[in-house]
Amino acid sequence: MKKIKIYFFIVGCSVLALLPLVTNSSYFLHIMIITYYIMFVSISWNILGGFIGQFSLGHAAYIAIGAYISSLLLINYGITPWVGLPLGGIVAGCFAMIIFAPCFVLKGPYFTLATIALTATLRNLFINWSFVGKAGGIVLPFTNNPWVYMDFISKKPYYFISLVLVSLLIWFVILLDKSKLGFAFKTVREDEDTASAININPLKYKLIATFLSAGLAAIAGGFYAQYIRYIDPDMMLINYSIEAVLPAIIGGIGTVGGPILGALFMNPLSEYLRASLSSYISGANLVVYAIVLILIIRLKPEGMIGWLNVKFENLIRKVGKFDKK
Amino acid sequence: MNILPQVLINGILIGSFYSLVAMGLNIIFGVMKVVNFCQGELLMIGMYSSYFLVTTFGMDPYLTLVIVVILMFIIGGLIQFGLITPTLSKDGSGSSQIFLTVGLALLFQNIALLSFSANYRTIKINYSQTNFNLFGQIISLPKFISFMVLLIISFLLFFFLSKTDLGKKIRATSQNPLGARLAGINDKEIYIVTYGIGAALAGIAGALLLPFYYVFPLVGDIFTLRAFVVVVLGGLGSIKGAFFGGIILGLLETIGAIIVGPSYKDSIVFITFIVILIFREVFQSREG
Repeated sequence: MKKIKIYFFIVGCSVLALLPLVTNSSYFLHIMIITYYIMFVSISWNILGGFIGQFSLGHAAYIAIGAYISSLLLINYGITPWVGLPLGGIVAGCFAMIIFAPCFVLKGPYFTLATIALTATLRNLFINWSFVGKAGGIVLPFTNNPWVYMDFISKKPYYFISLVLVSLLIWFVILLDKSKLGFAFKTVREDEDTASAININPLKYKLIATFLSAGLAAIAGGFYAQYIRYIDPDMMLINYSIEAVLPAIIGGIGTVGGPILGALFMNPLSEYLRASLSSYISGANLVVYAIVLILIIRLKPEGMIGWLNVKFENLIRKVGKFDKK
Repeated sequence: MNILPQVLINGILIGSFYSLVAMGLNIIFGVMKVVNFCQGELLMIGMYSSYFLVTTFGMDPYLTLVIVVILMFIIGGLIQFGLITPTLSKDGSGSSQIFLTVGLALLFQNIALLSFSANYRTIKINYSQTNFNLFGQIISLPKFISFMVLLIISFLLFFFLSKTDLGKKIRATSQNPLGARLAGINDKEIYIVTYGIGAALAGIAGALLLPFYYVFPLVGDIFTLRAFVVVVLGGLGSIKGAFFGGIILGLLETIGAIIVGPSYKDSIVFITFIVILIFREVFQSREG
């Protein structure tokens, strides 16, 4: 059963890695890069939102912090994004731990509200802070050393970087899901009192999940800044936080496969609709997105993965024992 | 200081809008324990409906109020009946409703974008520039009318909840859903009416805002978060608290804007919000 998943994962990654050899369309590559980016962010969100059950609607803040840190390091000190990305992740993770620590006394929707308010505050401060370029944001310059400074003209290197990043993250989350840490997260999610009773300190694990979740989101943000090469405080608008959450909810919250499935299904569809409809009706893609979201919550709250699992289970049961969770 | 009375008046005026939106949010939360993330979008729908009626039929913006109220009540009732009530039984933790209402907000914003484009729109009425003098302070006529109507609506809501049969049923359901059901109250019906009223209140605020504010698809974002701030300031489930909380927030914003400069207005509001939220929770858990 475990082997099937691993084979599936390896085959999937290699097929995706070979895609740029088949097609040369930079538009197609762009859609895939953005899909990997959204998938990465959504998987990160799922660590905090799904595994330990703290619904943050403020992940745009950490994406933006990651983007700002790696970009500012590059522009002001000439530090390569290869260092700036992990550094931004660590700083954003620590920052998130500090500001979330008091918020964890809040439960359910109140925690969500606090995360929204924190992000709105941060955006307001960034708009007025001249060191980060105020409302105008930062434009990243091109250098002559693309491999050192991660500023490629072609989309192919970005495609491989994003694919490697997201594959590593998926591998990490698969391990996390079955690790002691992952089980501690889920225990806290299901019942905090029980968790305390068996010596799992809820706050400690919530902070660990925050560090991982926000730090990983910041790494994605750093990559995004290098790819788009322009960042501004509008990255922290609530819609970008929602964008990070939607694939996880549509795919299946708290599962490893959920955000992957959700992003692979929704993002290309959304991009396709944007490209084919937006020339005369803008917003149509998000209308479709919202309708899918509402239908999923209304009809299949456990997400697409719950529905797929049932189909797969019957198929895989013949091959071997398949564990659902 | 000469500027202070003007600041206070502006604070109270904008605060009364926050009050009305927050009262809608609060009544929905009080009865169903649903945190309605699309409250601001309901206001936006109210604004656009009023805008449509004014520009297409040449109605007076204050006359459109009657149609907007009925329309918003129906929309709210349908949302509750079709979407929220079915998820209430499935999930008690409230997480489905967060994402459901976030999804609705996204849907409404983009439908507005589809139908009216992203442009900022305002209406022109012949008395929009009229001012009058009250105790030496200059007040614009549309703002004054809106404020008066807001006061009347708030009073009517108090009256409705405390004196009428339906209002008593709503309060009973909010205090003890099981007991209310045992007393023969149909809670599904009450839910529909409650959400309808919540939506109608947001719609009224929207229609009243239109004569002196601009409307665009994301206008609701400004009000959703502020309505939450007000609800937390005034206490959950308390309609009176929401009324005064709104006015306090309006004052906090305008006075804060004078003290630390208008560009940090949002930060003041949201940091106050988070601090109150956390302190309230800490004190409540100490007492409980």
